[in-house]
Parts: sequence; structure tokens; C-alpha cells
Amino acid sequence: MTVDASIGSHNPIVSEAAAIEVLAYLITAARAQMDEAAEYAPMRLITAAQKLGGHMVPKASRPVQELLRALDTFAPTATPRADRDEYLAQLDGLCVVLADCLLALTGPVTSE
Amino acid sequence: MTAVDRAVYDALRARRVTRRMSDRAVDPETVGLVVRAAKFAPNAGNRRLQPVVAVTNGTKLRLLRLISPGMIPVPQAAVVISIDVGRAASYGFPPRAPGLYVDVGTVAATLLTAAQAAGLGACPVTSFSRAAAGRILNLPETVQPHMIICLGYPDPTGGPPPMPKP
Repeated sequence: MTVDASIGSHNPIVSEAAAIEVLAYLITAARAQMDEAAEYAPMRLITAAQKLGGHMVPKASRPVQELLRALDTFAPTATPRADRDEYLAQLDGLCVVLADCLLALTGPVTSE
Repeated sequence: MTAVDRAVYDALRARRVTRRMSDRAVDPETVGLVVRAAKFAPNAGNRRLQPVVAVTNGTKLRLLRLISPGMIPVPQAAVVISIDVGRAASYGFPPRAPGLYVDVGTVAATLLTAAQAAGLGACPVTSFSRAAAGRILNLPETVQPHMIICLGYPDPTGGPPPMPKP
């Protein structure tokens, strides 16, 4: 497995203990999702991202810190059920913050 | 007018799922009181095919939480409700007989009420890996866990908002 060498620091940012917690969550969420409402799927993914993000906070760079702050605005029980449009808008907003973070980590992008 | 036992009815109305628990320890005697209530749950044929296991060991609780995507609180104790499919088969139940799962629900409702009576917050969890939970709890292969009831004192600072109403 390769890492994009052009994005972000290569210094370890999470411990094995933190990584295994997220890994355990992802694996068991995959199994649990087979028996639960489909609308829980994005909630599980966001929760996994929050778990990983929580472990990254102490060593994260400033652009990543901003992304993690945006990620933390999701309530742990939020699903698309109550207001799908609002939920989509929140996810899209988070994706924009992610893009900003990636751009900041990459540095200036030359126009083609 | 219908005569109502207000204390019982008000208790039902006041019960809430506790999704944020404090780090105040729950003493084993209180956990035992909750667990013993399971035997008072309505149960088909009084066969008691839903064994309950109390988990108070800190390491096991942490491991259970790691394999439970649906476990939002950090509990101080937990009660795991299983179905003994081996004993169920000996009675002639097919593996997925609905009644077996209904009785998981009656046990759960009874445990939740008992927890409330003991002053504990409780949170039922069904989104977890049954296979991993069975291994962590060293359950026989014929005993399949189906629900975890998290126990702990409610965090006075509150918790996440309730799930939206259907």
C-alpha cells in the first residue's frame, strides 16, 4: 500500500492503540450494518472518521485541525432520516472543508 | 376513570436512554440487583432461553465497546442478553423463531426498568459484532449474544440529542 507523498506530514500521528480502535470499529460496523437500517451507514462512517480524528488532534497540523473541528460538528446520532437535505448539505460542507485541507497540505496548485 | 398506579406509570414516562454516562463506578451489588430482575421478565413457556451475563471487568467493557459500533456511552457495567440456541433447539425451536427474539426484548425492558429503579442510566445496544462479543465473553458457541444493556450513572452535563422521532 502506498501513501501519496505529496500530501501532509509523514510523521506518525496515531499510535497502534488508536489505530486498532478505529480498525475494530470499521470491521464490526461492516458486520453490524448488514442487520441495521441503511441510513446508519453514513453515521457509522462519520463516527469512524471522528474516532480517527480524535486521535489525530494532538499532532495534527493546522489545516487538519480545522478539518477535525468541522468533523466534530456532526452529532453522534445524526442520520439522514430527520432532514435528508440538511444532512446532505452538512456532508457537502464537510467535503469542501476536506478539499480546503488537502489543498493547504499540498501547497499552491499551478494552473494547467 | 381508570385506576392508575402513578408511581409505576410515572416511572415509565420518565425513563430515558442514557447516552452519556459519568465515570462514577457502579457497585457489583447494584449490577446484581439489575441482573436478578431478568428472571421476572415475561417469558414464553417460562423456558428462560435468554441467559444474561453481567460485565463489570474494565478490560472486558473496553473490548466490548471496541466491537460495538452502536455503543455511544462509556458504561461502567453492562449486561449482555443472549439466546441459548442449543437449549432452544432441544425444545424444537427453529433457529430464527421470532419468539426467541421477542423474549430478548422482554428481558431488555425488564432490565431497563430495574436499572431505573436502581438509579442507573441504561442504554440498549444491538449494533455490535455477535461473533466478537461471544469470543470476548467466552460464551459457548450455542449461546449467541443479541443485546447489550450499558449501565452507568447519567452524566449530569447531559448528552447527545435524542434520536429523531419517526
